[in-house]
Amino acid sequence: MGNKLGRRRQIVDEKYTKPQGLYQHKDVDHKKLRKLILDAKLAPCYPGDDDCSCDLEECPICFLYYPSLNRSRCCTKGICTECFLQMKTPNSTRPTQCPFCKTLNYAVEYRGVKSKEEKGQEQIEEQRVIEAKIRMRQQEILDEEERMIKRQEMSSSSGIIEPNETEYFSRAAASSSESEEIVSAPQPSGTEIRHSLRSRENRDDEFDLDPENIMLMEAIWLSYQEDNKHQHHNPNYGDAAQLAKYATEVRVLASMAPQSEMASASSSSSPSGGLACAIAALAERQQTGAESSTNYNNYGVNTSTYNIHPDHSSTGLSLNNHLQISRQEHESWGENVVEPETGYGYDHYEDVHRGGQYVQQDENIVPESFEEQMMLAMAVSLAEARARTSSSTPEVAWI
Amino acid sequence: MTSASASSRKALSKIATNRLQKELMEWQVNPPTGFKHKVTDNLQRWVIEVHGAPGTLYSNEVFQLQVDFPEHYPMEAPQVIFVPPAPLHPHIYSNGHICLDILYDSWSPAMTVSSVCISILSMLSSSPAKQRPADDERYVKNCRNGRSPKETRWWFHDDKV
Repeated sequence: MGNKLGRRRQIVDEKYTKPQGLYQHKDVDHKKLRKLILDAKLAPCYPGDDDCSCDLEECPICFLYYPSLNRSRCCTKGICTECFLQMKTPNSTRPTQCPFCKTLNYAVEYRGVKSKEEKGQEQIEEQRVIEAKIRMRQQEILDEEERMIKRQEMSSSSGIIEPNETEYFSRAAASSSESEEIVSAPQPSGTEIRHSLRSRENRDDEFDLDPENIMLMEAIWLSYQEDNKHQHHNPNYGDAAQLAKYATEVRVLASMAPQSEMASASSSSSPSGGLACAIAALAERQQTGAESSTNYNNYGVNTSTYNIHPDHSSTGLSLNNHLQISRQEHESWGENVVEPETGYGYDHYEDVHRGGQYVQQDENIVPESFEEQMMLAMAVSLAEARARTSSSTPEVAWI
Repeated sequence: MTSASASSRKALSKIATNRLQKELMEWQVNPPTGFKHKVTDNLQRWVIEVHGAPGTLYSNEVFQLQVDFPEHYPMEAPQVIFVPPAPLHPHIYSNGHICLDILYDSWSPAMTVSSVCISILSMLSSSPAKQRPADDERYVKNCRNGRSPKETRWWFHDDKV
């Protein structure tokens, strides 16, 4: 008797060695079935449960739940014994196919109740499937965002933007604010973009271009305007360097300084980093009155988009580019401009030193994202505004 | 008495009823994209709206599938036909019969209404041209007595569509 209990040595109640009446079985050899069940070669014919109460497995054919199922040899799919008995079509000459994977000569084996390892493995698999689904969803969202941005850029680069067009900034600056300022940025065609800058209060987490950044740029410009009144030929690069130093460290996080601090940007810590420096330098450059248009290429990255590669202004720039630029900043801020200890800044700064004729066009870092381009546009427009207010300086040739 | 009406007349077995109830519940939670089950109290005959997939020959077209379940579902395949007017398709006859192997020889009890629907939509979506099968007229004439497509000896010759 004991020898009949099979590999798993589980004792099967006699009443589970015959079909429970799920189907009207024909041609079932009950003696053989009983032996197979007692030998643990087939799962016992437990009555199937309608609901998955505890640790049960669902038979994919009858949709009932069982403590254990048989597994197909080909694809290890589960099946209850009574459904399995239905699979053999007695009158057919064709070999039975696996109902799940269609492999010929369908056969099952019984391994008893799933072990903890098997269950754990299944849970891991399920987890992986869920994770893959989440990744797919995220990718879809990302793609959608990219398409949105591309569409925006298409529309914004397709020509002149209407005065007070707030398309760019409606994303970055979603709320109204205390003041409105209009600045302009020249385009390659010579037309101007006018943007109304609104909020300085709210920050859109998605983007690096924030009202605060814009405000910072304004502040830098103002501060340089101030500085230059006093020390026309001796601009205070130290401030900019300091600014950049803090800024570069935190720019990606974009944690913003309080606005009041912003107002005195030249002494505040700010996340705007190298770009802010570039703007500062640009303003300074403008102030010191070098008219050579070649210099503007040197502000690098950003300006070059407008000056050299007008066509590229429609292509977005990624955060990667942003970071890449930051990294490069560390290399050679410049013997020419700032004391080396500062260690931060644009390598393009060395191109920007007074009267510099050195033109560097680094096409690898053409700005891609529209935030970056907007920063650029701001920089350019601020510089230009500066140029205008100082009125004695002639219009700068941008091309 | 046709076999179609005969097979749908015999009441569903206990196991068929149980399975169909569960399939319907699952459908309500997670219906296949492009399909809508028309609510009736008849578990044995489902009427399902099919919406042609966007970007295919049948986009913006809506058809109706009628699914009749035999007593021994899922051991036996359901009878699936389009309610005329059936979509113009090289494998769909004007009486709504569908030449699709999984509905006949290749049916497996592991399939569900939902998986069958997806197969049919896939067949529609991959159609190269809106046309009837070459033998449409002859076949439909032979089926005049209301023969079930399950009685037809199908020849599945085209695995592309």
